[in-house]
Amino acid sequence: MPSSVCLRVFSQLSRDRTALAAAAPRGLLPALPASCFSTSAPRCANPAPKKKNMTAAPKRGARTLNVKKGGKGVAQDTSKRAAPGERKAMRKRIVLSNNNALEVRSLQDLDKPSALSERHEGQVRGIPEDVVDSLRAVEAFKPAQGWSLFRRPATLMRKQTMQLAQLLKDAETTDGEQRKTIRRVLVGERMSGKTTLLLQALAMAFLRDWVVINLPEAQDIVNAHTEYALLPDSHPVQYTQNTYTGNLLSQILKANERILDTMSVTTNPTLPLPLLPNATLKQLVQLGVSDTEASWPVFVALWQELTQPGRPPIMLAMDGLAHIMQDSEYLSAEAAPVHAHDLTLVRHFVDHLAGRKSLPNGGMVLAATSKSNAPASPALDFSVQVAEARQSRLENIPSWNRYKRVDERAMDVLKDVDVIKVGGLSKEEARAIIEYYAESGMLRAKVDEGFVTEKWSLAGMGNVGELERVTVRLRI
Amino acid sequence: MVFIFGAHFHDASLVKRSLETFYGIGPMVSQRIMARFHIFPLAKVGSLKNAQVMDLTEELTNMKIENDLRREVQENIRRLKDMGSYRGRRHAMGLPVRGQRTRTQISTARKLNKIERGGAGHVRL
Repeated sequence: MPSSVCLRVFSQLSRDRTALAAAAPRGLLPALPASCFSTSAPRCANPAPKKKNMTAAPKRGARTLNVKKGGKGVAQDTSKRAAPGERKAMRKRIVLSNNNALEVRSLQDLDKPSALSERHEGQVRGIPEDVVDSLRAVEAFKPAQGWSLFRRPATLMRKQTMQLAQLLKDAETTDGEQRKTIRRVLVGERMSGKTTLLLQALAMAFLRDWVVINLPEAQDIVNAHTEYALLPDSHPVQYTQNTYTGNLLSQILKANERILDTMSVTTNPTLPLPLLPNATLKQLVQLGVSDTEASWPVFVALWQELTQPGRPPIMLAMDGLAHIMQDSEYLSAEAAPVHAHDLTLVRHFVDHLAGRKSLPNGGMVLAATSKSNAPASPALDFSVQVAEARQSRLENIPSWNRYKRVDERAMDVLKDVDVIKVGGLSKEEARAIIEYYAESGMLRAKVDEGFVTEKWSLAGMGNVGELERVTVRLRI
Repeated sequence: MVFIFGAHFHDASLVKRSLETFYGIGPMVSQRIMARFHIFPLAKVGSLKNAQVMDLTEELTNMKIENDLRREVQENIRRLKDMGSYRGRRHAMGLPVRGQRTRTQISTARKLNKIERGGAGHVRL
């Protein structure tokens, strides 16, 4: 057997020869005896002398000084870790009662006959139990709102609420053959009560036995956190969101169970799943909830049913409108962003908001904007300005700056939409709600003209969120 | 466990992250592949349908990734070295190739510039 030294020399030799062969075609250059670059010198050098005064590593099991953080001997954090989803559930928890708050004796509930009555104006009214359950099911209550401060949910019926009540009345009345479809966008400053106004509209719709379909947060539809799939045979290409739609159907079912149970399927929908003959709408919706693959066809079938003659009016609502006025986070097969209006659910809403489709049994399409969580949407901002100018009959309606980029589709949708401006409370309204705070025991002060005026001013001319903050939340 | 292109992935692992374990697939490529089959960015491997898993595997089979790609990169470097070019020499010495200074900050070059570039085997999640 050849020694290892012998082998190494042999390999060096062969390497030199290949180097020579590679250099040969150049011809003119004198062949170098060795390659100009070699690693042999360091390899052949003597091994580095061992350092002196090196102590051996401690024996296994011997104690050594350990001052590092997080190592052995340091008390580790043994507290229980949150289970998956636990922290989010805590963050999104909705608390609607406070046992420490006093029961307000004078508080009246809204009821079906008088839900849209004008006599509520400027009063605080309680929301009945079953409506609270329905509102909770459609996620109309938001975690940051102050429901957890009071004994039970109650709202101030402000001027804009009355305006909405009047619109609901209009949608209910039969005007010749066709009932009206009301389309409105709620706009206003931050914390001015747009989402609460939306909730009030939903509450009134529930009381009046409307079918309520609420898209609680537009951001959740477009932020690509749920699965999506191509809608077969769609031109232009559209995308369905099965999980989201399934969840929406279960919310619709929970909130409108009583009404859906009384209606039976009259059309002959084409569904991927078998449906019982003479099934109720409740059973139809349950199909979509149990199998999310079928959720979009079920939603389409449900809508088809609800728009048949003789059915109740529909309330279609959405919060956070700006999110759907731009590209979504989803990507098409070519990795280009999908416009939010190409998602079937969004398109469905937007078609009704723009008035391309109407509700034959009457109803309302209501969208609330947000000032605290909204992407920049120049088209929405501009359309709101135009709508406000149109409503106040101004001479000079603002025109679009042509050098700015615009989302044409968003602009097209919002072209002739009307807005409801949610401003500050009047002093009378502020007084009513402050008195309610005081009666609930959450505000300990003598409520008089001076106090109300002070708080009203502190709250920036009666901004209701700020008013709550300076009276109930802030304790100095 | 889901089997994609010769590797097992846990159900709870992200599709994006699983794809990026393959040599030659980074954030952009994984994004493109997922968009192609309409898989949303936060999808977990366990939630993929069988057809999607098959599609992914087929797509990966047709791509130059893992050992094919490693071989290509290594061959490119070897070609430079065999020519006796400066770049080849610098690769062999593990030093910066494109004229950077070597007084400090050459850890990236030390890490990457070698003949057997790209390591070996599939990175386990």
